[in-house]
Amino acid sequence: MLKKTLASSFLFILLLAPLCTSAQEPLCKQIANYTMNVTLDTKKNLIKASEILSWTNDSENSIDELWFHLYWNAFQNNMSTFLTEASRRGRRVIGFTKDDWGYCQVNSIKIINNPYFEAYDLFPDMEFEQPDDENLYDQTVFSVRLPHSLEPGQTILLNIEFESKVPRPIARTGVYKDYYFIAQWFPKIGVFIEGKWNCHQYHASSEYFADYGTYDVKITLPSSFIVGATGEHREKINNEDGTTTHHFYQHSVHDFAWTASPHFLPPYIEDYEFAPGKSTQITLLLQPQHKKLKDRYMNAVKNAIKYCSLFYGDYPYTTSTCVDPAYNSRSGGMEYPTFFTGGAYFLTRKGISRPEGVTIHEFGHGYFYGLVGSNEFENPWMDEGFTSFLDTEVYYAAYGEPLYNRSYFGIPVTFKDVRIPIESDGISRHRQTYNMDIMQRFSWEFLEGGSYSANSYSKAELTLRTLKRFMGKELFSKMIKSYSQRFWFKHPRPEDFYAVVSEFAGQDMSWFLDQFIYGSGKLDYAIDRITSSRERQPRGLFNGIYKERERKKEKAKESVFRSEVTVRRLGEVKVPVDVLVVFEDGQEIREIWDGQYRWKKYIYQRPSRIKKAVVDPEFKLVLDINRTNNSKKIKPNRLAPLKWVSNWLGWLQHTLEFFTIFGG
Amino acid sequence: MKIIINFFKGLKTTGKTTRMVLFLFIINLLFSMLLAIPMYNSLKNSFGHSEVGEKMAEGFDYLWWQEFRDEAQGLETTFTPSIIGKGAVLNNLVDLIQLRIFNSPPIIIIFVFFYITLHTFLAGGILSTFYQDNPKFTMKGFAKGAGSYFFRFFVLMLISWVMLFAITAVLGSVFSPILDKAFDNSQTEVTPFYLVLLFSAIIFFIFLFFQMLFDYARIKIVLEGSRNVLHSTLEALSFVFKFPFSTLGLYFLIFLISIVATLVYILLKDLIPQSSYLGVSLAFFLQQVFIFSVIWLRCCLYSSQMNLYRYLR
Repeated sequence: MLKKTLASSFLFILLLAPLCTSAQEPLCKQIANYTMNVTLDTKKNLIKASEILSWTNDSENSIDELWFHLYWNAFQNNMSTFLTEASRRGRRVIGFTKDDWGYCQVNSIKIINNPYFEAYDLFPDMEFEQPDDENLYDQTVFSVRLPHSLEPGQTILLNIEFESKVPRPIARTGVYKDYYFIAQWFPKIGVFIEGKWNCHQYHASSEYFADYGTYDVKITLPSSFIVGATGEHREKINNEDGTTTHHFYQHSVHDFAWTASPHFLPPYIEDYEFAPGKSTQITLLLQPQHKKLKDRYMNAVKNAIKYCSLFYGDYPYTTSTCVDPAYNSRSGGMEYPTFFTGGAYFLTRKGISRPEGVTIHEFGHGYFYGLVGSNEFENPWMDEGFTSFLDTEVYYAAYGEPLYNRSYFGIPVTFKDVRIPIESDGISRHRQTYNMDIMQRFSWEFLEGGSYSANSYSKAELTLRTLKRFMGKELFSKMIKSYSQRFWFKHPRPEDFYAVVSEFAGQDMSWFLDQFIYGSGKLDYAIDRITSSRERQPRGLFNGIYKERERKKEKAKESVFRSEVTVRRLGEVKVPVDVLVVFEDGQEIREIWDGQYRWKKYIYQRPSRIKKAVVDPEFKLVLDINRTNNSKKIKPNRLAPLKWVSNWLGWLQHTLEFFTIFGG
Repeated sequence: MKIIINFFKGLKTTGKTTRMVLFLFIINLLFSMLLAIPMYNSLKNSFGHSEVGEKMAEGFDYLWWQEFRDEAQGLETTFTPSIIGKGAVLNNLVDLIQLRIFNSPPIIIIFVFFYITLHTFLAGGILSTFYQDNPKFTMKGFAKGAGSYFFRFFVLMLISWVMLFAITAVLGSVFSPILDKAFDNSQTEVTPFYLVLLFSAIIFFIFLFFQMLFDYARIKIVLEGSRNVLHSTLEALSFVFKFPFSTLGLYFLIFLISIVATLVYILLKDLIPQSSYLGVSLAFFLQQVFIFSVIWLRCCLYSSQMNLYRYLR
């Protein structure tokens, strides 16, 4: 018995060993640790793997069962919750043949003997669960009952044998010809939080949620393939059968994805010192047709690391791998810890934000999703919104305003006179969907896909930018950096963000945030009217004394003008706003309106006429859906409409003449 | 040599009828003004009294345009930042080759249709003017020519549409599967890009070829007084195939000149800062010169083609 206990303890220590012997100490508690041996059969597009999972009960509850995700089962038939929802949104899978479907099948799941558990076969008790919609066809979540409770602080070791059929590209994973992008591909344990398992089914609009841990993965596949993955590429062993085994290792992350293709250019690897004494290794896997974009990609990653470190805390990992995805692979623009995909067009031009924009965005997810592990199922705005905000802040800091461009026959053409300001990002989508949903919804509970993205990406980004300008740049910067770093390797909820904002603002900011996060009102302040006229002169009988009209010259000399400015709140959102009134003599008056009632009138009696009035002159309220009505001038600008109609007229004249090709 | 001789002859003839070109230009301008007035009012109402007006006078306010676009209806939807300079020409090229003109608001489609019809009417006047031994533009002569050939030219236009529709349908059925396959089965965007470019060039060539072919059909009707429109079309086809180098050479010489004119216009327009009345007036003047030159070149094409036809007949 003693011998058996000693043996199991030895194995237990051995499996936990990588966590202790790593070159870099783990950055957080390693809860879900995976050691995997994976073989990719490129002929059958089949992954065969064994997974040893070491999972620690980090809660204060005793746990009787374990829940797992099997994401790829969303692609095994058209009745899964993912594909049913996708179909309702018009994103049907078309033309899938027998070999195109994908799945993740658990062949065996056993407890490994260790100090807390004896060896036990869990497979007979494995059950599929449908916690969100009771769709019995859906097999993206399963549970297993434990022979006895796993107590707080205890660790369980499981040996899982599984095979995953790689689907045709879908949801940024799959195989396209010989390009593999493998994500969400293995049995992955859910998160036990708030006294229960948080393990949602895979939904068409949802992303992921998992606990932090160490991934020690060996991938074997034909030697002709170039491979990239989460973490450090520690070893590459060429086997006798023409295959190569790639060893990747990364601690303190909550996912592991990888890619393989024989067509990648040899990886570009560069050490980048983003701050004195702090560096990371950048790996760039590039498609051959994008060779000339190497520097643009590389600079984008460097800028992302540099500015993210500055704004949100120093990048803590030793690697960052950027993948330029194959055309048609549908794997572009996606994030995984230390590993992400960009997206580029071979003819892109200077001034166009591609590939930089998407590269920065996906790297940025390394912070809001990777380091700040919010629940993407339940609080999608907390990763997508924060990252959209991050990517524009970083992009504009690094590159300035991009140029407006249009593609003609696939050739991008830029318009140097039209620059795209940061405030424009997302406002159009928000304008069109603001009253469809509130921002804080489970990702699959939005009215439609457009509303999910408009709320989770655009509105959240605009809310943060409005908050930034409302709080002031300096205070906001401290706040957002503090929020980021406090919740690294944690799972924050909206209330955690509220608490940090309120702490820095020095007041409870719920009144502000609630309107945007839990409200669907419109933010629109407008100058409704401005008038300016000479003060009326007294004329007629006053207490029996007749007063005559003053002579014109005298009147002009002592004229006083009565000016009125009416500001209106056209939307439901109430925030205090500044109103700037400018007079013809150059005098300026600044008013502060609490913005509560529907309108406010300001009256002035001054020797000068009013020239213009502007509500929110500093453009703090980026969420204001109509910026044009924020100002009004007494004298309209006549040149501007003339200028632009003249340009438009030129286009129309040319159109008419051009299309006579179809006539005389 | 034939090409050059007849091109210069055409140039000379058109030079003698500059008043006619001016007349055609005024029609184009007035016709366009009918829509420019409501567009002016839309723009004025949108930003005239706002601070945005100042920004739009200085440059382009992208934020304003986003708002305008999101609320735009009908004609307003055609106002985009790409109407500036090169964009105006490129938009029309894409609208033509990819037939995106049909995605335009109905008012634009109707206007384009009416203008094409009007131009079909005017073509009779243009060609009858050039038909004279000593071409001279008179309103009476022009109107007479326009009226007498309109019906035949109109039928010719319908025939050209049917033929174009048939050919583009056939080409579409050939190109579409190839493109679909290239888009779906390629691991790089380079292959589909070049295919799109190639097919667009083929379609554009066909459009140009048809314009040239039906120009000769119209010329034939005017020169020979033919009443059988279909017969004239077939004879024009046979003429073009008999003298492919001369006909195509002349056509593409003038097409090349129009490309050069367009490039010069784009370059010059980019140089004019439009932030003052003077700048806007200069840009407007340049724009009108460009449109005038486009119409002038179209007349020159007619005149040169008529000379070539007479020369080779």
